Amino acid sequence: MTLLAAQLRASQVLAVRVPPGAIVVNSSTPLWYLTRATGLVALVLLTASMALGLLSSVRYQRPAWPRFVTAGLHQNTALLALAFIAIHVVTTLADSYAPVRVQDVVIPFISAYRPLWLGLGAVAFDLMLALIVTSLVRTRLSYRSWRLVHGGSHLAWPVAVLHGLGTGSDTPVRWVLAVTVACVALIAALTGWRLAYGWPSHAGARLAGALALVLALIAGGAWLTAGPLQPGWARRAGTPPQLIHGGRTITRPAAGGAR
Amino acid sequence: MRNAPAGLPRLIPPGGPLSLAEHLARYGPVPFRDAAGTDGRGLIAEVERAGLTGRGGAAFPAGRKMRAVAETGRRAGPLHSPVGTVVVANGTESEPASGKDQMLLARAPHLVLDGIAVAAEAVGATRGYLSLHAGNDELARQLAAAVAERDREGLNRVPIQVLAAAGGYVASQETALVSHLNGGPPKPTFVPPRPFQKGAHGRPTLVQNVETLAHIALIARFGSGWFSEMGAGAGSALVTAGGAVRRPGVYEIALDMPVGDLLRQAGGPSEPPQAVLAGGYFGGWLPYEQALGVPVSDPALRAAGATLGPGVLVLLPESACGLAETARVAAYLASQSAGQCGPCHNGLPALARALGQLAFGPPDARALGWAEQLLGLVARRGACHLPDGTAAFVASSLRTFGPELRLHGASGPCPRVRRRPVLPAPWHDGSGR
Amino acid sequence: MSPELRVNPIACEAHGLCTELLPELITADPWGYPIIAPGPVPPGLLPLARRAVAACPTLALLLGDPE
Repeated sequence: MTLLAAQLRASQVLAVRVPPGAIVVNSSTPLWYLTRATGLVALVLLTASMALGLLSSVRYQRPAWPRFVTAGLHQNTALLALAFIAIHVVTTLADSYAPVRVQDVVIPFISAYRPLWLGLGAVAFDLMLALIVTSLVRTRLSYRSWRLVHGGSHLAWPVAVLHGLGTGSDTPVRWVLAVTVACVALIAALTGWRLAYGWPSHAGARLAGALALVLALIAGGAWLTAGPLQPGWARRAGTPPQLIHGGRTITRPAAGGAR
Repeated sequence: MRNAPAGLPRLIPPGGPLSLAEHLARYGPVPFRDAAGTDGRGLIAEVERAGLTGRGGAAFPAGRKMRAVAETGRRAGPLHSPVGTVVVANGTESEPASGKDQMLLARAPHLVLDGIAVAAEAVGATRGYLSLHAGNDELARQLAAAVAERDREGLNRVPIQVLAAAGGYVASQETALVSHLNGGPPKPTFVPPRPFQKGAHGRPTLVQNVETLAHIALIARFGSGWFSEMGAGAGSALVTAGGAVRRPGVYEIALDMPVGDLLRQAGGPSEPPQAVLAGGYFGGWLPYEQALGVPVSDPALRAAGATLGPGVLVLLPESACGLAETARVAAYLASQSAGQCGPCHNGLPALARALGQLAFGPPDARALGWAEQLLGLVARRGACHLPDGTAAFVASSLRTFGPELRLHGASGPCPRVRRRPVLPAPWHDGSGR
Repeated sequence: MSPELRVNPIACEAHGLCTELLPELITADPWGYPIIAPGPVPPGLLPLARRAVAACPTLALLLGDPE
């Protein structure tokens, strides 16, 4: 199948409006779909896990929702996320389309494909592994060590979001963007709750945290609109040149329906 | 036996403090293993035979503690190798009504330092510490000078550091003191591990009250038989007599002397007496007449409903209200919570408020029931004994001052609540004194 | 010898998961801190006790031989 035909096929499958001048990088193999799909599902599950963790720290509790439910769901969604990330990683490696090697999965920023943004995925993956392994052997560790590693979750989740936005070829796709924004909004809201709820004696730290949250959201939004949502992102993000094709507008074949 | 004191005093020499030379002349040389020809472990056995119990308030058998430190130290290193242990002489004395440790350190420092030295040898220590109450810079200087003089004569065997303890009631608790020594906050830690397992610098640590070490120094010289000649086998002890007595102060007594005799030695009551608080703020009240015949010893006082504690006895006069005194002390103790454990941090202030209601407030039918419920809620639920001790003290008050409870419950606070307080409650001054 | 449950009162922050998971042995005081029934854990409740120990967010609940 020629590349143009592949692109046409892809746009039929995607069935979305692609912004004019956008560079669509895609492969039509099932592996590539699996990678993108499992990546998105993993992000949603990670968001759910993070949200439940935040609910736990504000001691959320209702008569029909005891605290151990929050704790148990938090652990299980994290494990489920890890399962989806495992598939996400394996399908990426197996797909020969993008040049990602095994070491790129755990060592950040050394890949040939979008080194920074893929590297963030490696960072998130490493942090997740540390989080899950330490939590499985929690009763054998000191509480302080476990808590230190678990604090890494505050880094792992935003890094995973940025990885998805920067590496993902579906970022401009409206519903994908909507899901991502919803995830960010949920975590931002819960983080605000957490900052308002806890640490009564550390008002300074809470205020700084709230400020950092707002700044992060603004910076993230600005980067998103100036970066992945703009034409030419694939090239700027570091996609190897042979995978990029000059700004061709992708349209649907005339036969087959309205635009 | 040469120089063995016959009768009292044993610990406090008459006249001023003795110089090192005078001290050695009076008691004989420091009985180290090589000088005395006895094996270090022999001292532990001797202390065990003497039945010496700690004089800091907990009355734990000193010999058993020494043996635990020595044995743990023999295997605490990597691959069960021996490690150097640590001896801590606890002169912190955070009990507001107690003055015996400061007096002992001022009048007989070399006896305490002898105790540290022989105990260090017996438990395989490589370092020593001597803590004293914060704010006593002059005494600290004198003690440091005494340590330096002994260093020059080779009488210490381990380096001894004199340091000021932190202020606050719980700072004298052994794990709090160890935490302070390790550079942490002066707050109790969760046990296990206890200091004998893992204490200063992670090593097995012997924490003993300074008076206990002074007794050990005498047992090392004169033996357990001599020690048990007095006090129905329990030896002698320093006690602080205070409150409405004519001559408040520190007295050394045999541990079978009745309370009445001690009060007489302290000049007798300065005004009509009501009750005796025995054991300090973790102790209990005894109505005056009942107290007179009780021997000043831990077992006898416990049987009577009080304790010996760090040897504190306070005489409450008729002109004072027992409930008001109790309420003030309960508020003080609540303020001294380290704030680490929920039941204490929440329960003691609630208890203090309930007692304040009973002592100073209008009649409240629920206050007594709530106070009694709180007593059960706080006991033994903290990392240290502050909640239990406070609960025991308050429970004793409620038992002893039944008439006041009924009076206040009928018509509110009696006029005696306005009397100048008898029991010190220094909680506006963080030093605990 | 059957192990006993005890709580490290310094580490405990009254999250309350133990009172949810083992109400047979652990109840909450007026401030949310656990009151543990004294004595050894009945053998039938041991798996639940272990689960409660693992669930404590601050690892304050301990299951061990009496000191």
